[in-house]
Amino acid sequence: MTIRTGLTRRGLLAAGGATAVAGMLGAPMIARAAGQPLKIGMVTSLSGPFAGLGEAMRAGIAMALAEYGNELAGRPVELIVEDDQAKPDEGVRKFRKLIGQDNVDIVSGVISSAVALAVRDVVTEAKALTFISAGSANDLARGAASPLVFRPTKTNWMLGHTAGLWAAEKISKTGCITIGADYAAGREYIGDFVQTYTGQGGQVNQQLWAPLGTTDFGPLLTTLASARPEFIYSFFAGSDAVRFLKQMKDYRLHDKIRVLGGGALFDQEDVVATVKDAALGGQNTCNQSPTAPASLDFSKAYKAARGTLPGEMGTAGYVTAQVIKAAVERVGGDVAAKDKLKEALLAQPVDTVFGPMTFDPRNNQAILDIYVNEIVEGEGGPVNQVIHTYKAVQDPGPSA
Amino acid sequence: MTETVKAFDAAAARSTQVNRRIACVAGLLVLAALVPFAASDYQLRFAAEILIVGTAVLSLDLLVGFGGLVSLGHATLFGGAAYAAAVAARAWGADLTLMVGIGIVTGMAMAFVTGIVVMRTIALFFLILTLIVGQIFWEIVFHWRSVTGGADGLRGLPALELHLGFTTLDLSSSRALYITAAVLAFAAWAVARSFVNAPAGRALIGTRERQLRMSALGYDIARIRMMALLASGAIAGAAGALYPFVNQYIGPNSMHWTFSAMMVVMLVIGGVGSLYGAFIGAAICLGIQTYISSYTDRWQLVVGLIFVLTVLIMPRGIVHGVGSLMRGKGKP
Repeated sequence: MTIRTGLTRRGLLAAGGATAVAGMLGAPMIARAAGQPLKIGMVTSLSGPFAGLGEAMRAGIAMALAEYGNELAGRPVELIVEDDQAKPDEGVRKFRKLIGQDNVDIVSGVISSAVALAVRDVVTEAKALTFISAGSANDLARGAASPLVFRPTKTNWMLGHTAGLWAAEKISKTGCITIGADYAAGREYIGDFVQTYTGQGGQVNQQLWAPLGTTDFGPLLTTLASARPEFIYSFFAGSDAVRFLKQMKDYRLHDKIRVLGGGALFDQEDVVATVKDAALGGQNTCNQSPTAPASLDFSKAYKAARGTLPGEMGTAGYVTAQVIKAAVERVGGDVAAKDKLKEALLAQPVDTVFGPMTFDPRNNQAILDIYVNEIVEGEGGPVNQVIHTYKAVQDPGPSA
Repeated sequence: MTETVKAFDAAAARSTQVNRRIACVAGLLVLAALVPFAASDYQLRFAAEILIVGTAVLSLDLLVGFGGLVSLGHATLFGGAAYAAAVAARAWGADLTLMVGIGIVTGMAMAFVTGIVVMRTIALFFLILTLIVGQIFWEIVFHWRSVTGGADGLRGLPALELHLGFTTLDLSSSRALYITAAVLAFAAWAVARSFVNAPAGRALIGTRERQLRMSALGYDIARIRMMALLASGAIAGAAGALYPFVNQYIGPNSMHWTFSAMMVVMLVIGGVGSLYGAFIGAAICLGIQTYISSYTDRWQLVVGLIFVLTVLIMPRGIVHGVGSLMRGKGKP
C-alpha cells in the first residue's frame, strides 16, 4: 500500500467538478453585490427558427441603451438577455429565472406569440413590469390582458385587419388564397385578414397551412400554381418566410401571383435583405417601415451599425428601450412604484421610431400607425417603401 | 473456525454496506428537507421541475436499466399524462389526487398502446417503434387544436390543491409544489425499487440477460416486457400529471421525441440502472440548459461534451463514477 499525497486523477476530477458547481452557484451572488443598477431582462430567440430576429432585437435594444449612455433617469442600466429558443416552455423558465433569480426590475422581449401567451400567467403572478416587444397574440390585448403587461407593439389583428381593408380596396375582391404558418400567430393573421376581407365583400377561395419550420413548400406551391389565384395573403416569419419566398421564385410564381403578407413575411432585415429580388413587388402591412418618416434617422444609424436597414425586430428592440426610457423617466427612476409608472406611461403618447405610440388604457396595448409597404428597388437593393398609412389603428380590445 | 470468521466478516461487511446506504438515503432526505428553507422561490420551482423530470427519467430507467429496452418514446407517456391532467384541470379543477390518478391511468393506457406494438421487439426495432408510436401521439396532440391548443399549448390552469375531505390545501406555492414533487419522487423511487426486487423485476432482468433461457424456463417474455412498460408508464404518468403546474403551462415540446432523447441523455449521465441516478442526470441537464444558456447560445455543446466525457470516463454514469471515486481504486 502506498500513501498518495499528490493529486490523483480522481482527485483532480472531483475537485474540477466541485469548482464548476461552486462557480455556477456563486455567479448570481457576485452579480447581486455589484450595486443598485436598473436591471432590464430581455427574453428573445437566439437559437431556433427565429434566431436571426432575436439577434436583431438584442442589437436594437443594445443600440438604444448605448445611445442613452447606459443610464436611465440617473440610474445605470444593466441588460440581461436570455434565449427562449422560440419554445414556450423554455420562455417560461427564462422569465422565472430573470424574475426570481436575477431580480430584474423590468422584463421585456419575446418574439413568438406562443411564448408571449405562455409567460402571461408567470409575469402576472409575479406582478412584474413587462414590456412585450414583439409577441403579438391578439388574446394578450383581450382576454389575457394583464395590468402590468405593456405591449409597445402591434397585435396580429392590427396587421391582418388592415391587410383585409387594403386588399378589398386596392387589390381584388375575388381570387384570393390564404397560406399561413400553422401556429398561433399564423392562425390569427389569416383569420383576421379573412374576417375583414370578407366583411368588405371579398371572397377567399382556399386556405392552406404549413407547419412552423416547413422546409419544403413544394406541395403547397403546386396547388397555388394550378389554382392561379389573383393574389395570396400569406403569413410566415423568420427562416420560413425566406424559404417560402425563395421557393415561390424557384417555381416561377413570384411574378405571376401578387403576394400580400403580414409584416414578417417581408421583414426588411431578416427576409428582404436575404431573398432580395424574390421579394420585389410584394406588399405587406406592418407597424414598422424603414422608410417611415419616424424611422428615417434610426434607419440610417442602424444601417451604419449593422450594415443593413432595420427590420421589425431590430426596431422593436429599439422601441422597447424608448418606451422603457419614457416610463422610467416619468417616474424619476422609481420603478418600484408600478402603478404610478403605469399611470404615467398611459397618460401621454411616446414618440417612437414605429411612429407616435399611445397606450390603450383598457389593456395597455399600443395604438399604432400601420404602414402598407411595397418592396421596390432602392439604392442598396430591394426596400420596404411606405405607400399608405392607416392612422392610429386600435385593437378591438377586451370587447372583441 | 476460519469458515466462521469468514462468514462473520462477510456479514459485517454487508451490514456496514447497508448502514452506509441507509446513511446515504437519510442524508439525501435531510438535504431535500432543508432545500425549502435555503432556496429562493425560483430555485424551489426549478428543483420541483428537476424532481418531476427526474421521476420520469427514473421510470425510463426501469426499461433501459433493467429490461435493456431503450425507448425514444418515453416523453410521450410523460407529456400525454401532462396534457390529460391539464385538460382535466381546466374542466374539473386541479385536485392533486384526481390529477395523479388521471396521470397514472393515461400513462398506463398510452404505455399499453405502445406495448402492443413494441413488446415483441428489442434493440433497434424497439427504439424505432417507440419513436414512431411516440411521434404519432405527438402529431395527434399537435393538430388537435380544440382540445390541446395545438402548437400554442395550454395555459390558464387553476391552482393545484389537495382536498382532504375536511380541509383543502393550496399547493400552488413554490414550496408546496416542491414538497409535492419530492414526495412523488420518493414514492416513485420506492415503487420502482420494489418492482425491480419483485419477481416480475427479476424476470425482467432475466429477459435482458438470457432471453432464450427465460423462454425455455417458461416465462412469457412479451408479457414481462408489457408489465415493465405499464409500471414505467404509471410512474411517468404520475410525474407528468404534476408537470403542467410547475410552469402553469404545457406545450407539445413536452411530448416531442427530442425530449425523449434528452431523457435518455439524462439517464446515461446520471447512471443507467441506479434509479436515483435519474435525478442527478436530470439536475445536471436542466441546470446546464438553464444556467449555461445565459452565457452562451451553445449550451447544447456543453451537454454533448458532458455526455461524451461521462461515457468515456464513467461509463456507468455519475452515480457509479462518484461512488467509486469515494471508495477509492481498490474495490469495484
